[in-house]
Amino acid sequence: MFHQFSATAESLSKASSLVLRIGTDAHLYDDPDDVSIGPLLESRFDSEKVDALKRLLALLAQGSDVSQFFPQVVKNVASQSLELKKLVYLYLLHYAEKRQNEALLSINCFQKDLSDTNPLVRAWALRTMAGIRLHAVAPLVLRAITKCARDPSAYVRKCAAYALPKLYDLHHDEDNSSFEELVDILLNDHSPGVVGAAAAAFKSVCPSSLFLIAKSFRRLCEILPDVEEWGQIVLIEILLRYIIARHGIVKESIMFSLSTMSTTPVADGFPTFSGTSGSCQTLVGTTCDVNMITLMCKSYIDGQIECFAQTGCSNSSDDKLDLSLTSSTNDDVVMLLRCTSPLLWSHNSAVVLAAAGVHWIMAPRENIERIIKPLLFILRSCQASKYVILCNLLVFAKAVPPFFSQYYEDFFVCSYDTYQIRALKLEILSIIATESSIPIILQEFQDYVKDPDRRFVADTVAAIGLCAQRLPMVASACLEGLLAITFYESSLSSSSQIDGEAGVLVQAIMSIKAIIKQNPDSYDRVIVQLACNLDRIKIPAARALVIWIIGEYSVIGQIIPKVVPSILNYLAWSFTSEEPDTKLQILNTAAKVLLCAQGADSLAFRKILSYFIELAKYDINYDNGRMHHEPGGKILNGKMHSSISSTKSSRIYLPGSLSQIVLHAASGYEPLPKPCSLLNTDLTAGVVNETNDSDISSGSSIEESGSVYDSDHSSISSDDGNESVNDSNDTESTALAVRNDVQDVREKTLVDVSNVNVCVDDSNENTKGNLSAFISTDLAELMPKLALESWLDEEPGVSSIQTSQQASSGRISINNLNCTVTPKLHSLLDPTTNNGLRVEYAFSYEISTISSMLVLVEIFFENCSSEPIKNIALKDGESSSSVESSDQVLGESESLLRTANVPPVLSTEEIASLDPGQRVKKLIEIRFPHHLLPLKLVVTCNGKKFSTKLWPDIGYFLKPLSMNTSAFIDHERQLPGMFEYSKRCTFKDHIEKIAPVKDDSSIHSDKIILLSQILTSKVLSNCNVSLVCADIPVSFNIDDASGLCLRFSGELLSNSKPCLISILVEGKFSEPFVLTVKINCEETVFGLNLLNRVAAFLQ
Amino acid sequence: MLQCIFFLSDAGEVMLEKQMTGHHVDRSICSWFWDYVLSQGGDPSMFLCRVADVLTDYLGGLNEDVIKDNFVIVYELLDEMMDNGVPLTTEPNILREMLAPPNIVSKMLSVVTGKNSNVSTKLPDATASSIPWRKINTKHSSNEVYVNLVEEMDAIFNRDGILVKCEIYGEVQVNSHLPGLPDLTLSFSNPSILNDVRFHPCVRFRPWEADQILSFVPPDGEFRLMSYRVKKLKSTPIYVKPHLTSNAGHSRISVLVGIHNDPGKTIDSITVQFQLPLCVSSANFTPNHGTVNILADKTCCWSIGQVPKGKSPSLSGNLVLEADLEKLHVFPVFRVGFRIMGVASSGLQIHRLDVKNTPSEPYKGFRALTRSGEYEVRS
Repeated sequence: MFHQFSATAESLSKASSLVLRIGTDAHLYDDPDDVSIGPLLESRFDSEKVDALKRLLALLAQGSDVSQFFPQVVKNVASQSLELKKLVYLYLLHYAEKRQNEALLSINCFQKDLSDTNPLVRAWALRTMAGIRLHAVAPLVLRAITKCARDPSAYVRKCAAYALPKLYDLHHDEDNSSFEELVDILLNDHSPGVVGAAAAAFKSVCPSSLFLIAKSFRRLCEILPDVEEWGQIVLIEILLRYIIARHGIVKESIMFSLSTMSTTPVADGFPTFSGTSGSCQTLVGTTCDVNMITLMCKSYIDGQIECFAQTGCSNSSDDKLDLSLTSSTNDDVVMLLRCTSPLLWSHNSAVVLAAAGVHWIMAPRENIERIIKPLLFILRSCQASKYVILCNLLVFAKAVPPFFSQYYEDFFVCSYDTYQIRALKLEILSIIATESSIPIILQEFQDYVKDPDRRFVADTVAAIGLCAQRLPMVASACLEGLLAITFYESSLSSSSQIDGEAGVLVQAIMSIKAIIKQNPDSYDRVIVQLACNLDRIKIPAARALVIWIIGEYSVIGQIIPKVVPSILNYLAWSFTSEEPDTKLQILNTAAKVLLCAQGADSLAFRKILSYFIELAKYDINYDNGRMHHEPGGKILNGKMHSSISSTKSSRIYLPGSLSQIVLHAASGYEPLPKPCSLLNTDLTAGVVNETNDSDISSGSSIEESGSVYDSDHSSISSDDGNESVNDSNDTESTALAVRNDVQDVREKTLVDVSNVNVCVDDSNENTKGNLSAFISTDLAELMPKLALESWLDEEPGVSSIQTSQQASSGRISINNLNCTVTPKLHSLLDPTTNNGLRVEYAFSYEISTISSMLVLVEIFFENCSSEPIKNIALKDGESSSSVESSDQVLGESESLLRTANVPPVLSTEEIASLDPGQRVKKLIEIRFPHHLLPLKLVVTCNGKKFSTKLWPDIGYFLKPLSMNTSAFIDHERQLPGMFEYSKRCTFKDHIEKIAPVKDDSSIHSDKIILLSQILTSKVLSNCNVSLVCADIPVSFNIDDASGLCLRFSGELLSNSKPCLISILVEGKFSEPFVLTVKINCEETVFGLNLLNRVAAFLQ
Repeated sequence: MLQCIFFLSDAGEVMLEKQMTGHHVDRSICSWFWDYVLSQGGDPSMFLCRVADVLTDYLGGLNEDVIKDNFVIVYELLDEMMDNGVPLTTEPNILREMLAPPNIVSKMLSVVTGKNSNVSTKLPDATASSIPWRKINTKHSSNEVYVNLVEEMDAIFNRDGILVKCEIYGEVQVNSHLPGLPDLTLSFSNPSILNDVRFHPCVRFRPWEADQILSFVPPDGEFRLMSYRVKKLKSTPIYVKPHLTSNAGHSRISVLVGIHNDPGKTIDSITVQFQLPLCVSSANFTPNHGTVNILADKTCCWSIGQVPKGKSPSLSGNLVLEADLEKLHVFPVFRVGFRIMGVASSGLQIHRLDVKNTPSEPYKGFRALTRSGEYEVRS
């Protein structure tokens, strides 16, 4: 009858839901592949694409592998529709790691999106880019995060903080400094939301770098209430760890509550205590379990593994805990406690628990009680929270039962609780029961015994036993109750075997046994009662227990010895029908009785025992057959069934941690740091950092100044560079050197800017070119140098070159522009930072003959001082680590693996001496770890070492590839779609260069040729490629250069894949041109980076 | 850190998976989870509770069909709520602005036009503000604020019919439709009766600590301003007296319901629910008022509604035990449900509500409601 009704109800609800489901996505979920998805993805309409992606998501949700659509989906990443974008991202995140190569194709779009005006788009792009887990783009992601960490939108900065752990998880090396630096910036953010996210990043990226906290501890405490709730939890934990590491344990706290009764206070201020057993009265007059607290304290600090190792020898003298102490009046401690106490009122249970954890560990004993009520209040929230809080309360209650004894009502079980919650409540009740509350608690227990859940009843019975052991005054009352249960249950189980009933009976007898054990003499009547009812107890395990009790206490009191013979007679009669366990106990008991018996009885007992042994010999069970050899050898140790199993109860983890719930160290669990492990030297290091970072400390700095790097450097270079001698930061010193270089050049003004046929002259440099080179070699490469406006304005290059080419009618193709190139000089070592040695480098156009991985660099050594410099040599900065990291970065490239044994620098011989003013040129071959990452170098001269960084120029990872125009177009066609990237930039150089020419009577084509020459020399000065052709439009408008197209070709050094560069010019001579740079290259990441570089130096 | 979230249907099949970190978790883990973890009951994550809350809030329920209907929204929501397995945005107001919740209008619109985009194109301003729970420029035609006291009564009567524990779990729910950036203060006449309190993040801690006054800038719409607990109450509005006799294969059950201490308002939606022990093979009940339903899992539900005048509702019935049982040895627990409009049983009284920083004096409304919480009577 039940089933019928429920069936109709179900069909009714189904019918009603069908009506309601119109207009939802249900049909997509139910039949995701009723139309073919492929064509939908190719559709021109966003709505159809959205539909297709929803179907894909449905399939994905149902567990089918739809990664075959990956290439089609990836193409849609560039869509302008946010809904489509979101869906594409969801899909991408699921499959990107599986389809690495195709996923790389989306990077371009992420880069574009990172410069979108909509912060939501920027945030999504960053989140997805960091989430797709491609090793090859890890450096790009780091740059993107660096950029977004200074974004004006707090939401984007928050996402940047969340992206850090993703990147860290994907790729990190020993040098954690860039991560730490970013975490530091984000922790100092003024927006509380960002701080919360930064705390999460801190925890997963650099949890031990507590010195980062040191300088902003007070600010973090103050901002804590404003941080959003999930961030609060993490931040509280970090602050707690910091306090422990910095100041140690608070001496008034629970953790050190035993200091008052410490037996061996050591004179030097580091008192130790050893685990003394029993419970003690402390200052406040409450009892607490000393062992428990000692164990808890050790578990919190040492972690579980060490703790277990120690408990093995818990009574030996080395079981001492050295604690560094601080007082509760310590300012930092007071601050943290003050800022966390309002959080005890938080709506979020997890926050309450975290705040309570801090108080539990740090607060003075008298003040801990304030956490009890908020914790108990959590019991009135959802079931999951209840369970979590009870797990934690159990530990607290075990350590200091008196805190909870007046709140016993809160632990009363109600029918809404799940079994786990009931079991925990029972355990806590049995711990916190006091003499005043035990009558009420026992009354409550009596109700529980009639509960339909028999497993719970068994636990209740166990709890009654525990209460009786803890409080001897109620022992006899409990015993009576237990006996009643035993007899009631045994009468029940005679009629039928109901699930769980056996457990109740066995547990009842176990509890009885435990109570008897405490004071056997006074309970002899109970034993007799049990024995007399033996024939009614049918459950083998229960029988075995009763028989054991009889054997154990066979000589106690007056009555038992009198009934023992008849019991043995009864057992002899029933032996053959017993279960193996019971037989064992019968043998055991018989042997014990015999051993204790005197006089006449012993003869009878001996007879019975030999009878048992005879029977046992022929028992089918081997154990019983063997048993007669060693009577009395085996004694069943009746273990308490209750959930308080010995090993688990000694496992204690930090309050609020997942580990405390599952009772094993969950991944990511860390015990508290060693007290006072944070040394002062760490702190001062942190302070030094702080001064260095002062001008980039806040995320809002971007609003005031342009690129952060610019502001950073300008502030230093205003001090004339000499200040930076002490500065160990390589990046900054390199950048500084470059800037000094620029100033030098400006002073010399050797360059004839109007001259198109630039001479090849090593010392001559184009001022602007050098500036842009500086910018592009800097980390800021991904972002244009100007502030927010400019990097938001950066429009994605959408116009296609082909269309505008067709627009111009006639064209002349020239492939021999008479122009010359100027390799650019970069500074490696500035004469002001050492004793007058200037080292500069330029990338050579020659190709290494040794390995395709090597780039040739010309190094110029010049002595700017008045004295000769001796023993100049150039060596690799860090030989081992850079090799490893380079392998990681480019790990996919097979050719690299083959040449992995090539050292980063093939050094040349040492220069013995360099006279003042003398300039020496050397050619070295370098293997860069990555086309964007610098190589650390050490220059030694006069016995001193100067470390510096050699920044690679991506343009020289190419070699010229000569081809004609048709071959170029063929190649271009073979690299369509995702292998093609374009970007727009403006070009202004021509205005000053061509302006004087304008007055002449030269025809317009000359002007265009002039422009082509400028552009070509610019490209050739920065990239090792060859000019294929320059398409010059024939137009009637003299002033219009639109349609001019320059084509360059090269191939990658590493794998000889072609790389094509096209530059299309639009605009008039009187105005800045708009250049569209297009690159076709199979190596997506390389191509993208090259594109950025080309756009940067053209601008 | 969460590695992934699976939504399982009632049958234990995976309906939805969302991988959070790079380390994919195979969905085969779900069958293990289904077999072992669920059979034990419980789930240890407080954050999952919040996810479930938000989803329920959005979709108006959380079950198999609702998730299927809105799986795209579920995906989008999960993506907004978590990043790399850590919570990103869980503030419901912000989420609502980012992703429009499904409603009848949008459904109809999608049927008619075939278009349906619920993704906002703009980042909500509140993400950047120091009060993330409130939109920056809220404009309303209405200018009103309602304060509701919703109290749940938890009570346990033991098998002797004695009240063991009785307490009130209450919430102060505020529904605010105020323009601009209003600043509200709410004070109680008798705050001292409150045993425990918890606050919405918008409540300032200082004024509460000093004078027990709630001072806050409210979020827009409905929210839970505060929850509280009042312990050790002495009486309950209704009584339920179950009586079970079981002897020699013949078991009878009778339940009597009546009003105990008249709260002065009508008590409605009275229900009594209990689960028959497993050893009962069948049962028939006859109420003198209301209706009785017996569900498949042997749950009996007696809906009474209001207590009629001059008659006290009672239920009696016979239980047929399984063949070899002579008498019942376990007794069910009776859960009682009821509702009283207009009464806050704890006695908590709102003293006054001041609204500052609004252009004109808003309309203020107050209501109270008591309903049963964990209210059980053991037999």
